[in-house]
Amino acid sequence: MESLEALVAHIQGLSGSPEEVAHLHSLLKQADGEPLRAHAAALVPFLAHLSPETHSLGYLYLLEACATSGSNLSDFGGGDFLVTIAGFLTACSADQIRLAPDKFLNVCRVLKDQVMQLIMPIRGIAPLRAAVRKIQSSPEQLTPVHADYLLLCLLAKQYKAGLSVLEDDIFEVEQPKDLFLYCYYGGMIYIGLKKFPKALELLHNAVTAPMSMLNAIAVEAYKKYVLVSLIVNGQVPSFPKYTSVSAQRSMKNHAQIYVELSTSYSNGRYTDLETFVQANSAVFQSDNNLGLVKQVLSSMYKRNIQRLTQTYLTLSLEDIARSVQLETPRDAEMHVLRMIEDGEIHATINQKDGMVSFHEDPEQYKSVEMLEHIDSSIQRLTALSKKLASIDENMSCDPAYLMKTGRDRGRFDGRFDYDDYDSVPHKYF
Amino acid sequence: MSAPSDAAAAVDTPAPTTAAASSSGGFTFKLHPLVIVNVSDHHTRVKAQAACSGDSSSSSSGAGAGQPPRVFGCVIGVQRGRTVEIFNSFELVLDPVSGTLDRAFLEKKQELYKKVFPDFYVLGWYSTGSDVHDTDMQIHKALMDVNESPVYLLLNPTINLSQKDLPVTIYESELHVIDGSPQLIFVRSNYTIETVEAERISVDHVAHLKPSDGGSAATQLAAHLTGIHSAIKMLNSRVRVIHQYLVAMQKGDIPMDNSLLRQVSSLVRRLPAMESQKFQDDFLMEYNDTLLMTYLAMFTNCSSTMNELVEKINTSYERPTTRRGGRGAFM
Repeated sequence: MESLEALVAHIQGLSGSPEEVAHLHSLLKQADGEPLRAHAAALVPFLAHLSPETHSLGYLYLLEACATSGSNLSDFGGGDFLVTIAGFLTACSADQIRLAPDKFLNVCRVLKDQVMQLIMPIRGIAPLRAAVRKIQSSPEQLTPVHADYLLLCLLAKQYKAGLSVLEDDIFEVEQPKDLFLYCYYGGMIYIGLKKFPKALELLHNAVTAPMSMLNAIAVEAYKKYVLVSLIVNGQVPSFPKYTSVSAQRSMKNHAQIYVELSTSYSNGRYTDLETFVQANSAVFQSDNNLGLVKQVLSSMYKRNIQRLTQTYLTLSLEDIARSVQLETPRDAEMHVLRMIEDGEIHATINQKDGMVSFHEDPEQYKSVEMLEHIDSSIQRLTALSKKLASIDENMSCDPAYLMKTGRDRGRFDGRFDYDDYDSVPHKYF
Repeated sequence: MSAPSDAAAAVDTPAPTTAAASSSGGFTFKLHPLVIVNVSDHHTRVKAQAACSGDSSSSSSGAGAGQPPRVFGCVIGVQRGRTVEIFNSFELVLDPVSGTLDRAFLEKKQELYKKVFPDFYVLGWYSTGSDVHDTDMQIHKALMDVNESPVYLLLNPTINLSQKDLPVTIYESELHVIDGSPQLIFVRSNYTIETVEAERISVDHVAHLKPSDGGSAATQLAAHLTGIHSAIKMLNSRVRVIHQYLVAMQKGDIPMDNSLLRQVSSLVRRLPAMESQKFQDDFLMEYNDTLLMTYLAMFTNCSSTMNELVEKINTSYERPTTRRGGRGAFM
């Protein structure tokens, strides 16, 4: 095992071209492990000799050894070490660190733990955002850093910062836990930003993701999913067929209160819902969902007013107030006004006689903007369709699938002259 | 003009009658597509009827075994100076015994047509076959008393995919001196196709309503769209040619041609053909409708792929819930 100085010299020397870096990598791997960690305390001054951009790989190894050495980070002058890590994460070169991804992930996790320990999550946001971009091999890949990053954004209430990461569509996932956490935290961020449809999408993904056993993240996600879908759609859809079997069976048992809430909501009476919420507020509070439940309550009005648009062409404000169980026509007017501004209904309020007339959707589909909008949707859909086709192909070649279908088909070999692509399922017995 | 000797001569020496020499008569022939459609329809009908009923009886008059029977008829039209325009045709029955056309019928038909189309005269006759038959000269001469120089229109019903032009030939009769004796022989004449708007529409209609696999709505739509696609492609390539030409002219590679430039300029100025707000609105609405339909079609496509994918995933990775007995979920 070489001495530290020799190692550092190597790092400094061999960080030029990709071949040198590969050589350096093998050297570092040899030097890695307990011996390096044992010298953790001594490593810190060496770090000052190295620059994060050019010597990223070597820096990473040393840093990781320090960080995971088990000794308290305050030994290294706590806050400064954090700064070092943060500096490294923002400045490192992406190609080099991709050679040692697990070390990089360790470093990121250490940063997150530190930051949470110091209860200053906001300090971790910028470095982790840089880290996410650097370790991703493509914008469609999900990494564990995503989940940590979103958690920090949530704790720091910096929802907008989380948006940049959430806007990419994810197609590759390595660890299922990453996906669950990502969807759950992402959903919460969108809820914080009041973008309920997108939150619904993410929470839906968390609930319907394949899982062999029910996990806690999915259950929590389901609770929020029920609430958000009540706010957005007014009802909770049943499980689609791609939900895992374990989820379908046991999810509702763990979220009983929420299911009852949704049935009470569908009855459409505000006062009933209110009493129900009051009665169970302790449960909601313990799940940290009380705020969301209150939003569900207020969405009840909106739902009822929307239902009115389907029956009446014009209605007076008093009638609206009465049927929706609001106290005064003033409240009704405010609600309707807000809904018109949000684009949820199309109506005009005639203030002279207090009548509201409901209209059809005024979109005529005559404009060029609509044309471009549809065109871009078609383009997106074409790209998505190509991806789906390739995934479908991959799936057809998947050994598990072939085994299952091959087994069934083998049983009936010679008995049936069967067309493989018969789209009508036949009963064999 | 002794028929038997003529027939004998024709049988012995088929060469003179089928010497396909070119006409030097100077007549310009114009043929309307209606005539071609009529003749081919006549032929197809007779062929179909013979196939149905003549399975047992193989004695069809004059037709060889396996060969479709020949059909005959008259062509009528207008002759103005040197231009002969053939508008219409009607069918005639050939008496198989004597080998002559039914004159009474011909005259009756002629009268009827005269009432409707007073300008039309009997210009000649038609028949089907791959080449001029020996007995044709007989019929031709017989018609000479109606029209002093009749035309003979021959349609070749055998489908030859490599041949690009119409299998229709127009023959005139000319007096040529062969082997010392003057004989009437058929000489080929050139002709052009002339269409009236109504004819163009109907021919189009007939042509497109008969795809080989019995057009359902889907294939008709596909055929329609392919037609439009190829038309637009051709337009695009032609415009590109003009563009290249103009660019080369601008660079100076090609000498300036002002008349051509004027033509191009007038062509360019023809668009936009319509400029009004109402047109814009309607146009955009229709455009958006088509786009929405495409979007919907793509959506359906995507959803079905997604469905299959989900089925596959379910079969491979999920524990089956209600399935028993190895019933697989084949999509």
